[in-house]
Amino acid sequence: MKKVLLLGASGQIAPNIIPAMESHCDLTLADIKPYPDGRSIEHVDMRHYDQVRDAMRGMDAVMNFTVNRPDPILSFHVSTLGALHVMKAAAELGIKKVVHTGPQLVRSYYDQDFEITDVPRAPGTGYYGITKMLSYEICRTYARIYDIQTICFVFNGLGLEPNEPIKGEDFPPFRIFWKDLSHACCLALDIEAVPDNYQEFNMVSMTAHQKYTLEKAKRILGYEPAERWENYYKRDA
Amino acid sequence: MNVLITGAESRLGQAIARELAPGNRLRLWGTGESELDENITYFKGDMRDPDIAWQAVQNMQAIIHTGEPPPNLPEDDLACEQKLLDLATRGTHVLFKAGIEAGIKRFVYGSTLQIFEAYPDDVYISEMWRPMPSTDKFQLTRYLGEMTAREFARDFPVAVTVLRLGKLIAEENASPKNSDLMWVDYRDAARAFRLSLNRDAQSELKWNKRFALHHICADIQNPKYLVGKISGFQLRGFQPQHNFEAIWRGGGA
Repeated sequence: MKKVLLLGASGQIAPNIIPAMESHCDLTLADIKPYPDGRSIEHVDMRHYDQVRDAMRGMDAVMNFTVNRPDPILSFHVSTLGALHVMKAAAELGIKKVVHTGPQLVRSYYDQDFEITDVPRAPGTGYYGITKMLSYEICRTYARIYDIQTICFVFNGLGLEPNEPIKGEDFPPFRIFWKDLSHACCLALDIEAVPDNYQEFNMVSMTAHQKYTLEKAKRILGYEPAERWENYYKRDA
Repeated sequence: MNVLITGAESRLGQAIARELAPGNRLRLWGTGESELDENITYFKGDMRDPDIAWQAVQNMQAIIHTGEPPPNLPEDDLACEQKLLDLATRGTHVLFKAGIEAGIKRFVYGSTLQIFEAYPDDVYISEMWRPMPSTDKFQLTRYLGEMTAREFARDFPVAVTVLRLGKLIAEENASPKNSDLMWVDYRDAARAFRLSLNRDAQSELKWNKRFALHHICADIQNPKYLVGKISGFQLRGFQPQHNFEAIWRGGGA
């Protein structure tokens, strides 16, 4: 079983996918704030290289779910500098697998378009977007130079999968459900290598709009949504 | 024009100040007063402090952010890297944001051509190629500063110009022993900054017209790094004057 460090374990995403991943890998959880159910985790502050590196020691892979969205200083120090620390430590320790995460950075630009795969990022100057964009460039650079297989999952909405019909609503165009994301993370940990050592993947559970395609995630990772979740949004006709 | 020049203590900053001094009012950030000149004022402080950046941009009409690393960087390698990263990313963001809020319309950032060093020497590098920075702290952070600067042209009606500079050197100090395809003379680099201030693109509707990117190095025989060869990427009026003929005529590297 792979030993995996999960940074940002107490954030808005990780606690929702950890239960489904624990049978797949040996997870070590780390964050600066307590885990929601009080479970013991390691304290790792992304701003401090020594803390990041020490937590990564002995790991086979690292998953970085950390982020600070609004703060003019912390956003740079957690999202950008923190990413540098992860990749630098991976290079130093010989860790060859990193799963990075962040926003898709461009979704609304393409609301009038279809069959959208990888499109140029357009983060703008907001702290969340720009600091994560910079983190992607850092990951891509370190991945190329140190042969660190880096999978970057990009999001534009996450949540609990539906379990009953939803009436009177269309589904969001770029949303992934926890069940699908935990599966994608397991695939990312298992895959031997990705082209150019670094790939970004749209994380989407529903594609019936024919907007954001999963072609790349299917082709490289073997990712497929667990169900055709669009069927929960059917109108009675 | 009232122009703020950052990194003014660097050799590049000094060359830009000399180039711009005639006919402009300059505010030099980072250097102490040297010669008494009524058109030059001096400024010091940490760019990452929004209050200081706000003071620096007052009454300015353009910002030249040289991207040059400051003096007195930490000796510790990690601390040095962390500071360079913070200056290039957050520092650039704080400075440009202050400039936007002060109504400045023209911004120029000094990046580096070294982000193409990884490519083999048998290709012609133009602005069309994808950067491949190394993890060298000076190179990678300079590139991240460029990416930070670019986003301001996307979001605001301002002209942002990025100059990817070759390796800076004075032609008279160049030696065939260490000839470099990426050389650019300080004076030519300074001229490129001056010409960039002429760009009047802030009213363009498309962000990629408000943003401009130029490679700046000497125009040598058989160049690897092309200057002004791609339509739409020429810096109007720029022609390098220092082209190291004495070096390259002898065979060079």
